[in-house]
Amino acid sequence: MAVKIEKSFQVQEPVEKVWQFLSDPRKVVTCVPGAQITEQVDERTYKGAISVKVGPSVTDYRGEVQIVRLDAQAHEIEILGKGQDVRGKGSASMKMTGKLTALPDGGAEVVTVSELNVVGILAQMGNRVINEVSNIMFEKFMNDFRQKLQAGPDQAAPESQPSGPKPVSAVSVAFSALKAAVTRRGDKPDAEEANGKSGSEK
Amino acid sequence: MHKTSPEIGGMGHSIKRKEDLRFIQGKGNYVDDVNLPGMVYGQLVRSPYAHARLKSVKTDKAKALPGVLAIITGEDLAKAGLAWMPTLSGDKQMVLATGKVLFQSQEVAFVVAEDRYTAADAAELVEVEYEELPVLVDPKKSLDPKAPILREDREQKDNHIFHWEVGDKPGTEKALHDAPVKAKVDAFFQRCHPAPLETCGCVADMNKATGRLTVHMTSQAPHAHRTLFALVGGIPENNIRVISPDIGGGFGNKVPIYPGYVCAIVASLTLGVPVKWIETRSENLMSTGFARDYHMTAEISADKSGRMTALRVKTLADHGAFNAAAQPTKFPAGLFSICTGSYDLAHAFCEVDGVYTNKAPGGIAYRCSFRVTEAAYLIERVVDVLADELKMDPAELRRKNFIPASAFPYKSPLGWTYDSGNYEAAMKKALDKAGYQQLLKEQEEKRKKGELMGIGISSFTEIVGAGPSHSFDIVGIKMFDSCELRIHPTGKAMCRMGTKSQGQGHETTYAQIVAQELGIPAADVTVEEGDTDTAPYGLGTYASRSTPVSGAATAVAARKIRDKARKIAAHLLEASEQDLEWEPGKFYVKGAPAKAKTIQEIAFAAYTNMPQGMEAGLEAVDYYDPPNLTFPFGTYICVVDIDKGTGEVKVRRFVAVDDCGNIINPMIVEGQIHGGLAEGLGIAFMQQIDYDENGNVQGGTFMDYLLPTAVEIPNWETDKTVTPSPHHPLGAKGIGESPNVGSPAAFVNAVVDALSHLGVRHIDMPITSWKVWNILKEKGVAG
Repeated sequence: MAVKIEKSFQVQEPVEKVWQFLSDPRKVVTCVPGAQITEQVDERTYKGAISVKVGPSVTDYRGEVQIVRLDAQAHEIEILGKGQDVRGKGSASMKMTGKLTALPDGGAEVVTVSELNVVGILAQMGNRVINEVSNIMFEKFMNDFRQKLQAGPDQAAPESQPSGPKPVSAVSVAFSALKAAVTRRGDKPDAEEANGKSGSEK
Repeated sequence: MHKTSPEIGGMGHSIKRKEDLRFIQGKGNYVDDVNLPGMVYGQLVRSPYAHARLKSVKTDKAKALPGVLAIITGEDLAKAGLAWMPTLSGDKQMVLATGKVLFQSQEVAFVVAEDRYTAADAAELVEVEYEELPVLVDPKKSLDPKAPILREDREQKDNHIFHWEVGDKPGTEKALHDAPVKAKVDAFFQRCHPAPLETCGCVADMNKATGRLTVHMTSQAPHAHRTLFALVGGIPENNIRVISPDIGGGFGNKVPIYPGYVCAIVASLTLGVPVKWIETRSENLMSTGFARDYHMTAEISADKSGRMTALRVKTLADHGAFNAAAQPTKFPAGLFSICTGSYDLAHAFCEVDGVYTNKAPGGIAYRCSFRVTEAAYLIERVVDVLADELKMDPAELRRKNFIPASAFPYKSPLGWTYDSGNYEAAMKKALDKAGYQQLLKEQEEKRKKGELMGIGISSFTEIVGAGPSHSFDIVGIKMFDSCELRIHPTGKAMCRMGTKSQGQGHETTYAQIVAQELGIPAADVTVEEGDTDTAPYGLGTYASRSTPVSGAATAVAARKIRDKARKIAAHLLEASEQDLEWEPGKFYVKGAPAKAKTIQEIAFAAYTNMPQGMEAGLEAVDYYDPPNLTFPFGTYICVVDIDKGTGEVKVRRFVAVDDCGNIINPMIVEGQIHGGLAEGLGIAFMQQIDYDENGNVQGGTFMDYLLPTAVEIPNWETDKTVTPSPHHPLGAKGIGESPNVGSPAAFVNAVVDALSHLGVRHIDMPITSWKVWNILKEKGVAG
C-alpha cells in the first residue's frame, strides 16, 4: 500500500540552524516517535529501528536509513528508509524529501513529502489508519523538532535513547483512527477532505 | 396437487419457521457454542506478504509462553505428508506454508494453547523470516511470459490454470461479423466475499480411547467432508463423524475445506484433546473462499429490428494462489455457459481461462449455482448496451428475444435444456407492477429539468439443482441427494437429510413436503441434518440444490411410504388397494368416505397390526438423481435517483417478480428473495475485496468491506408467477439464489440508464458514490 503524505510547518529559527538539524539523521530521529538509530554504517547510511503500535498490533521495524541526496545549497534532503518487522509481520519503506525555505520574518518553513509503502498487518488496516497514524506521528515530530531546535545542539543529539524505541501511543492512534472510521463511509471524497493534503495512491 | 389444510401445512402454506423459535431466543447451537471438557484452542499464524520465500519459522519464544501446548509448522505437516491438501477443483493447496507463501494471510503455523488469549499471544511470538518476491495481483499480468511463476510445485511452468470453451465458435464469429448491429461490454465482476455473519470454525475431537474422530464444523457439505478427511487423512471413514451444528450463513463460503480445519484435526490427533479453532472476521474475509473475480467481455449481434443473432463471451478468471473453486468437477467455470440467459440465440460461444495470482484462493459459488451470477450479470448488461446501440426500449428488446413459452423444453446453443419458463409473463407482471410507462415519462421530464433518474431491468434465467449424475460430480461423488423418512408408531415423523441448512429454513420446508405427501402435520415432522452418523449420505446445501434434489428425495421417500401405507390401509379396511382413494392424511374406500384410516392409524398398525408377511415399520430412504437441473427465472426492475452533488445513488424502488415453480412455503421464499436482494445491493454498490500492488488486502475488515444495513435497503416489492418444473416431483425449483443472481444487473442497469444520455454505457461494480461523482464531474454535470 502506497501512501503519499505531504506536510509542512514553520519554525521561528534561522534557516541555517534548522538545516544543521534537519540534515543530520541522528538529530532528526530523536524527534521521530518510536524511532532510534542503532549504528552508523557509513557517512550516509545508518541502521535503525522504529516501533509502531496501532491498537493491539505492535510492529518493530529494523532496517536501514540512507541519505540519497543532500543539497546544502537548496536546503534539500532526500532520505530512503527500508525495514522489516522483526517477527515477520511485514515490511515498510519510505522515501522522504525535506525542503527548507527561509521566511521573510527570519524563520523557516519545512516542507516534507513522504512516500510510504507498507506491506503486511499495518497495510491491512487500510490507508485511513496509516494516514491517521502518520498524522499523529507528524504532530509529535513537529513539536519535538521545534522544542529540540530551540533547546540547542547539545540537548538535541543524544547518541542513542537509553531505553530503546518507544512505540507511538496506541490509545490516541486507535481513537483517532476509530473516529475517522465512524465518521465516514469509505468514500474517497470524504477521506481526502478529512486528511487534508495527504492522500493515497494505488 | 392436493391442497392441504392449514393444520397439516403442506405446500403453499406460509407456516412459521420451526427453527426460529430457538434462534430468536438465542438458543441456537453454533460451532463456537460447542465446549467440550479439556478443550484447547488453536490460532493460525498468517503471512503478511502476498509472495515471499519462507526462510525460517522460529517457534521457541512462542513455545516458552506458559499455556502453549504445541505449535505446528508446514515442515511438521510435511513430515506427515499433510503439508498440502487437494482442493475441490483438482488442484492442491498448502495447509501450512512450506517453501514460500502465495497470498497475504496465508496459513504459516498453527499455535495450540490452553485458552484463546494465550494462543493469540503465542501466535504473535512466532518469528517468521521472509524474503519478499515480486507480487502478481493482475491476472492479465499473470499471463505475461515474463511473469514470475507462482506455483513452482506444478509441472506446468506458467500461471495458466485451465482453458475451457463451449459452443459454436465459427458460426458465432460469422454471425457477429455479418450482423448490422453489434454491442460489446467489458465487465469486471469484482472479487467479493459471502461474509456470513458466523465465520468458519471447528472443534476437532479425537478420542484416543475409541479411536473416533468427531469434527464439529461449519460445513455446508458434512458427508463430502467426512469422505475427504478419510481419503486425505487416512482415517477409516467409520471412525469419522462430522457434525454441522446450526450454521450462521454459508452462501458457499462453507463448502471448501480450509487449512484451519485440518490443523485443528492434526492438533487433536497429536494432543488427544478437543481443539477449537474459530476464525476472526478478518481471517474470514482475507483467506476463505471469495467469489467472482471474473474479467468478462461480451459481444452480441442483432439485425436492425433488434432480433439477436449471436453472443460471444471471453473471460479471464482470477482464481488466486490455488484453484480452490468449489464446483462440479467437469465444469471448471461452473455453469457459466448459462450466459445466453433468457434469450433465443442461434449462435453462441463462450471461453474462460483461469489464472493464478497472489490472492486468496477460491472462486466459490456465493449464493449462486457456480458462476451463474457472473453469467446473468453479463448477459443482462450487454443486452442493455445493445438496446442503447439500437436506440430501443430495453424491455421491448428483451421481450422480442425471449425464448417463447411454447419452446420449452428449450435446448440452448451452449448445451443446456431449460426445463420450463414463461419469461414474457414474468416481465409483463413486473413492468405493470412498476408502472413502467409512467416511469419512462417521469424520467423524460426529470431529464428536462437536469435531474438524474434511471430504470434498470434484469430478466434473468437461473440454473440450479446440481445435478444429474451423468455430468455432475464433486471429486467423483455424484451430485444426488437424499432423504431418510421414518414414521413413528404414533404417526409422528423423523426426516433426515443429506443437505445442511445454513438459515434456509429446511426444518420447515422439508416438513411441509412430508405434510403435503403424507398428510402428517408439518408440526409433527422433525427434520434433522448435519450429523454424518445419523443422516443419509448427501452432497450438501449450496447452488440452490436442496429443494430441487433433497426436496425431490423427500417427496419420493414419502411416496414410497404412502405405497406401503396403502397396503396397510387395505388390510385394515378389508378392501382392495385399488378401491382406496387418498387425500392428505387418510385413505378411504371409494364411494364410502366414512370408511377411512388416517395416516396415524396406519402408522400405528405398521408396528402393531401389519398384514401377514409384511415387514414391520414405516420408513423409506431415497437417493434422488435429478433428471435435469431446474431453471428459475424472473424480472427485476430497479428505479434509482442520483444526487448530482454527492454522486449518491438512491434505490427508490425495486420490483422483483420471481418464478421458482410451485412454492413450498411462500413466506420463506419471500424471505430468501429479500435476503438475496440485500446481498445483491451490497455487491452492486458497496463491496469489493481489492488488493494493492503489493498484494495487501484492501477489504479485510467490515470497515472496508461494507454490508448493507436497513439504512441502504429499500422496500422490496415482490411478486411471482408460477411455472412448474416438469421433471421435479413437486414442480418446484430452487429460489435462494435467484435474487443474488438477477439483481446486480438491475442495479447497474438502472445507474447506467440514469447516465446513458450523457454517453455512459457501463460502470463496473461496486458503484460507489465516489465513482459516480467522478463520472458526473467528467461529464460536467456534477452539482
